[in-house]
Amino acid sequence: MQSSPGGGVVRKRSPVSRWTLLVCSFILAAALGQMNFTGDQVLRILAKNEKQLSLLRDLEGLKPQKVDFWRGPARPSLPVDMRVPFSELKDIKAYLESHGLAYNIMIKDIQVLLDEEREAMAKSRRLERSTSSFSYSSYHTLEETLGFAPSLLNCPSEKLLSFQIYTWIDNFVTEHSDIVSKLQIGHSFENRSILVLKFSTGGSRRPAIWIDSGIHSREWITHATGIWIARKIVSEYGKDRIVTDVLNAMDVFLEIVSNPDGFAYTHSMNRLWRKNKSSRPGTFCIGVDLNRNWKSGFGGNGSNNNPCSETYHGPSPQSEPEVAAVVDFIMSHGNVKALISIHSYSQMLMYPYGHSLEPVSNQEELYHLAKDAVQALYEVHGIEYIYGSISTTLYVASGITVDWAYDSGIKYSFSFELRDTGRYGFLLPATQIIPTAQETWMAIRTIMEHTLHHPY
Amino acid sequence: MQLRRQPLSAPRPGDTRPAAQRLAVPLLLLLALQGAAASGEPEDSGWLQDAEPSSRLLSQAARAALHFFNFRAASPSALQVLASVLDGRAWVNQKKEYKFDLVFTTEFYRAEEGEKRLGTCSAQVFFRNDKPRPAVNVTCTQLIKKERRQEEDYQLYKLMKQLKSPLNAVRIPDSHGYIAPSLRPIWNLAFLGSSYVMWQKTTPFLHYFMSQISSVKQWKTNDDAIDFDYTVLLHEFSTQEIIPCRIHLVWYPGKPLKVKYHCQERQTPEEGSGTEEGSAVALTELSNF
Repeated sequence: MQSSPGGGVVRKRSPVSRWTLLVCSFILAAALGQMNFTGDQVLRILAKNEKQLSLLRDLEGLKPQKVDFWRGPARPSLPVDMRVPFSELKDIKAYLESHGLAYNIMIKDIQVLLDEEREAMAKSRRLERSTSSFSYSSYHTLEETLGFAPSLLNCPSEKLLSFQIYTWIDNFVTEHSDIVSKLQIGHSFENRSILVLKFSTGGSRRPAIWIDSGIHSREWITHATGIWIARKIVSEYGKDRIVTDVLNAMDVFLEIVSNPDGFAYTHSMNRLWRKNKSSRPGTFCIGVDLNRNWKSGFGGNGSNNNPCSETYHGPSPQSEPEVAAVVDFIMSHGNVKALISIHSYSQMLMYPYGHSLEPVSNQEELYHLAKDAVQALYEVHGIEYIYGSISTTLYVASGITVDWAYDSGIKYSFSFELRDTGRYGFLLPATQIIPTAQETWMAIRTIMEHTLHHPY
Repeated sequence: MQLRRQPLSAPRPGDTRPAAQRLAVPLLLLLALQGAAASGEPEDSGWLQDAEPSSRLLSQAARAALHFFNFRAASPSALQVLASVLDGRAWVNQKKEYKFDLVFTTEFYRAEEGEKRLGTCSAQVFFRNDKPRPAVNVTCTQLIKKERRQEEDYQLYKLMKQLKSPLNAVRIPDSHGYIAPSLRPIWNLAFLGSSYVMWQKTTPFLHYFMSQISSVKQWKTNDDAIDFDYTVLLHEFSTQEIIPCRIHLVWYPGKPLKVKYHCQERQTPEEGSGTEEGSAVALTELSNF
């Protein structure tokens, strides 16, 4: 039994109440130690003067220990928090009451809290040092603590404790450093790194394929699919003829978390958040729809100039750092030949335009490529996708990624809407991650092959 | 292996289609006047047939019909969802009202992976400007026999009676799309209530999906019926908005569903009172169907 909250996983202090920090550390230590705290309580006492304070110090000095101070007696007017084992509760409370020490019950039963935390642990996976034990069939957070889900006390996991997807990225790059490297192409509005994985077997500024997922943060299946595809690419290189041919001649860039602020928010506060988290003075609502902020048909139909709208396009094209980062990267690279933007849901594979009903000049080729890709997808698990231009298949939408890409000269610009067609929508069960990733991969592989064999 | 069929939506290269929002009336409609007359519609109704209705529009209409069908059936164990539209015709008049004639396939909402049984429905759906909800005429082939449906409803009912209030659940499904088996009946019942709301709110331009039960206010089974008061998050597809709706339903197997609801439309500084306050808060009771 530890006398003071341990933990050892705390790396950085953050502007978070120290109390929450202590509780989180305790929960961590206790849960890992598999101890039993049924009926134990945490009491908060406000000592009014030095005399009361010394009474509390007497408690502290008792041998054997009867209380466990989380926040020890320091000064009058500073709260004192102590954990009291169930067996000592009656005595301790009598002691406090007889001496006129007022107290609150902060935690009525510690074991209840621990059980909830343990249940959350059982549902998610423990983070280990290797990407082979990373669970590809679960959803993960951006930054998380050793597989814990945030507890009732809102352990500020993203500030306190280890990363998940970003850690996975680091591990992945280390394990496959012959082919994969990590690039930081910018920072989000809340100053998170925007990371891109580069898959390359050499060369210099080879023709490239760009893939992005997670531009709408609530579309969790897209990040999960992106992670799976990253692993698939490295495992198929040298085995699958198409992947090998592609990587021997081209580079692949994969941006898994295109909207890191939004993604963090879907974990901490609002699972159905779509936009980024940018705010402007004088604006009532937060967030810009990152898939309406591109410089192609900006501000047209299918986007909204109301900041409170889910399809708010922002004050100007590329005003959002998450979009500007990608634009800058792709433009300065100058040799991107295909762009694939992954969304959910609807089960569709589409090409430009979104902002107009007019067919693009390469419509015929894109139509047939989409048809082939959808057929390859269907052959995996029998899932039916429909395909066509965005405006005629999904809806009119302006200022979107693939329209910009096409207008910038990237002929093979495609947008996916992954599973399902509305039964679960954004909350697609984790059991469908791997099947979805498997079929989506076959469609992407088809597009990659075509791009390779049709240089321009 | 060939794709079974490319659903109606596949545009041929060079195709352009009127977007639902645009309400554009292409030249083809004028040419189809003969078609409208031939279909037996009264000539003074001013209905013009849309020669090439977009599959999106047809799907939306089919979903509206299914929402109504599910509500009317009042059977949480026999909920159906749209599989694909087999055939659809659409008409629009000068008042920009829409009419649809549809044949579509459905599958069980609660189908486990791999269990794929298709039913077929035919429906007429009429979106009027002066009525808040589409008028629906729908018949579907029986996916399961009436006796079995009643039996499964009753089993669900018994399971639900055993659940104690307060329900030990906050959001259903959780963030990972997971629904605990014991909470499945709740999800189905909530979907049934939401079907009523989604039927009411569907227009040719707005259609909804149920995303999540965000809170359960009350779960009572005092008298025999299940009394369920909850908030659901609806996803409106064309605007991508999330609409919280408070729904209060009363259900007993075999009896019509009673539903009250109130949805919170997006509050914006610019839209004056663009909310649904005060509308559609009537207790609905069907005495015959």
